[in-house]
Amino acid sequence: MVDMVSGEMNMNSKVSGVSAINRHKGSDLAARGEPMVWAMGGSLAFGLMMILGFLALIFWNGLTAFWPKPIEVVTMTDGRVIAGEPVRTESYKPTSADLASIPAEARAKIEANAGMSERTLYRIGNFDFYSNDFEWLPFFTVKSSAHPKDLMLVERSEWGVFIGKVESILVDGKTVSNPSLAQLDAADEQARDLRRQRQTIERDKVGAVNSAINAERLKVRKAELAYGEGSPEAKAAADAAAVETTRLTGDFDRLSAEALAMRAKEEAIRVKVAEIGGQEKDFPLANFVRYYAANDVSLFQKIGIYLSRWWEFLSTEPREANTEGGVWPAIFGTLVMTVVMSVLVAPFGVVGALYLREYAKQGTLVSLVRICVNNLAGVPSIVYGVFGLGFFAYVLGGSIDRTFFPEYLPNPTFGTGGLLWASLTLALLTVPVVIVSTEEALAAVPRSMREGSLACGASKWQTIKWIVLPRAMPGIMTGLILAMARGAGEVAPLMIVGVVKLAPQLPVDGVFPFIHLERSFMHLGFHIYDVGFQSRNSEAGRSMVFVTALVLLVLVLALNTVSINVRNRLKRKFAGDKF
Amino acid sequence: MATATALKDDAPIATGDGYDPTVYHPVESPGGVEISIRNFNLWYGQSQALHNVSMEVQKGMVTSLIGPSGCGKSTLLRSLNRMNDLIDHLRVQGDVRLSGEPLFGPQVDVIALRKRMGMVFQKPNPFPMSIAENVTYPLKVDGVTNKKLLAEACESALKGAALWEEVKNRLNDSALGLSGGQQQRLCIARAIAGNPEVLLMDEPCSALDPIATMRIEQLIEELKSTYTIVIVTHNMQQAARVSDNTAFMYLGRLIEYGATKEVFTNPHSKRTEEYVTGRFG
Ligand SMILES: Nc1ncnc2c1ncn2[C@@H]1O[C@H](COP(=O)(O)OP(=O)(O)OP(=O)(O)O)[C@@H](O)[C@H]1O
Ligand SMILES: [Mg+2]
Repeated sequence: MVDMVSGEMNMNSKVSGVSAINRHKGSDLAARGEPMVWAMGGSLAFGLMMILGFLALIFWNGLTAFWPKPIEVVTMTDGRVIAGEPVRTESYKPTSADLASIPAEARAKIEANAGMSERTLYRIGNFDFYSNDFEWLPFFTVKSSAHPKDLMLVERSEWGVFIGKVESILVDGKTVSNPSLAQLDAADEQARDLRRQRQTIERDKVGAVNSAINAERLKVRKAELAYGEGSPEAKAAADAAAVETTRLTGDFDRLSAEALAMRAKEEAIRVKVAEIGGQEKDFPLANFVRYYAANDVSLFQKIGIYLSRWWEFLSTEPREANTEGGVWPAIFGTLVMTVVMSVLVAPFGVVGALYLREYAKQGTLVSLVRICVNNLAGVPSIVYGVFGLGFFAYVLGGSIDRTFFPEYLPNPTFGTGGLLWASLTLALLTVPVVIVSTEEALAAVPRSMREGSLACGASKWQTIKWIVLPRAMPGIMTGLILAMARGAGEVAPLMIVGVVKLAPQLPVDGVFPFIHLERSFMHLGFHIYDVGFQSRNSEAGRSMVFVTALVLLVLVLALNTVSINVRNRLKRKFAGDKF
Repeated sequence: MATATALKDDAPIATGDGYDPTVYHPVESPGGVEISIRNFNLWYGQSQALHNVSMEVQKGMVTSLIGPSGCGKSTLLRSLNRMNDLIDHLRVQGDVRLSGEPLFGPQVDVIALRKRMGMVFQKPNPFPMSIAENVTYPLKVDGVTNKKLLAEACESALKGAALWEEVKNRLNDSALGLSGGQQQRLCIARAIAGNPEVLLMDEPCSALDPIATMRIEQLIEELKSTYTIVIVTHNMQQAARVSDNTAFMYLGRLIEYGATKEVFTNPHSKRTEEYVTGRFG
């Protein structure tokens, strides 16, 4: 009874205590979290703007790089005449030496403008005449400019772009001066045809004979390794090879002679060009890759040129130290490497995560492993590259070579950087991403599903195989997509384990066993680095950098789109799931 | 083999911790005892969830488990097919037997055991597969691949679960497209497709509307002739309607286990009376 009373008293005092608090009526700004919302929205907008700006930069520069530009002929105050494509204009501060040499009124103008003037970069081409592809022309040195219609822009297989006039062509022993475009086209088609035939002989037939000769040499070496040098078996092999090699060498000589004759015919079709200053040069017309009268093309022709440049870029091999031509081997290399990497990383990551999450006894050891895996994601990628070269290429590849390809030694087969090792290195690099996301996906499978399956008498493995893994698949796919995107954009470790500036052969071709995982390959990311920073002149590489970056972006985007589609299809299978 | 009579002779078993001993007055089945539980204790880590539970589930009858939330009904039910094995730090003590064979022990084949018991959960949990695949999952587990056999099993299980007429034309559609009540009947079909001896149901109607509930209750009535059924329910009318014996649990203890009619109309224990008359719980 006493207790009851005191309890009631307590209650009363509590009630009065509540009413005593002067509650704030309505809600203020901070309580509703409005400033936080603004801050969050603002940072999101900022991030989006940076990304959009970046994309816009790449897309604009990449997409406009191949558009044919007009050629401007500039007469300068000192009488020099220059023809070139204007690339861009910027303001700059002329040196005092520059200023001293110009007329007083121009100087006064510049001084009035706080010493700033403007200049334009022209792509003048004709590296063989000027030893320079680009030239800056300050505004104050320009006297007049014009756009003459007869100037040609010629992309050549050697020496880069030529800008100037075609003086004459020599076809079938006859010289045609000032050829019309139609005449030039006809001669060009003829030269091209010869060139194609010669290349078939040189590349395919001679190549096949060459590799056959090499195979004979390897047969002998193999026999020597197997039976010992000087053994009767080795001798027999050597004799057999000698016969075969003689025959092949005969083939080789015959083909070479054929190719040589072809080349002579091809080079008999010649063209004489003159640059704007009048210097002339005479070379085989087959060197012409693409030409057009830059100031005399219609919009349709421009579109045609634009598309044909893109096609060349996407489908051919690079020329001129990668600054010209295409990036097909790099596209292909990137694609193959990414696919091989994904194929390698998926089972490793998924099985690892399955063990960690489903089978391993959750304890200190597993936590430690998990921490290590998470930290692996933070190791600089170049370290993986060093590891890949040291372990995969030298240790693993070296022993593969000694075991399976001793006859090739000392030339390494797998014992050097290559597609397989690069893919493995990237798989190692991206496996933490896959493990972490797979673990999360497995943990997110509802308990009720597992219990339902176990209650049916399913074993743990059956439950995982039929219930857990399918349910977790979208999450696992997300991890794989992230890993793939990361792997496709990674360059640093690849430079060490197999990517080269120029790969002689694609990693996939018609020669058995069709996929050559030991070959070194080209990669778009490395190509960007190489063109942009390692080439003869960075100005020429500039547009290539943007175009290549655009291609890489689109490639990664395409890969992601494909896998996201696959994931969504999987997700749709579980749509309507109410748990 | 312990029988209900034997238990009665032993009763009352002293729990030894100040609680009244369990009161027993179950209806006995001519088929005998299916599951016998003797002095069963269970701990989740340090906290004890079941205290000295002893009871005998009669063969071919429906036994319902009632009691306030958190009293250990699910824990007891899930101990019967060892679903609790998934939980870390779980410890059990006591003797539980299915048709005389022990359930706990190192040499027990848990998978074989679970195949003898179908389980239906509180929330319907169809797998993200087609209706037919869901139903035949227990057979898939057994490695049955014969299409004809699977189709027959599927049909008879769906008929058994009173779902056949509704889904016979969409057997290959996703099971997730079914309504909640249909999904629960599908789960029942899945549970009986494996041809078990016992059906364990943990609040099978709690997520369903009255009409779906009624269908499930009818179904239980029909299944009773074939299976021994243990059902956990919060709905006392339901327990009264469907079950032969009722076990009332409170705070991890079995308070009263007896004929359903008796438990609801003339409970022998004061706590049971308070609960069934709605004075607490
Ligand atoms: N996995 C677990 N770990 C620890 N304690 C648990 C676990 N599951 C249940 N418990 C505890 O065991 C006791 C019994 O739980 P149980 O789920 O069996 O109750 P219940 O009778 O089924 O209740 P409800 O009617 O609400 O479903 C509760 O106190 C609960 O907190
Ligand atoms: Mg429960």
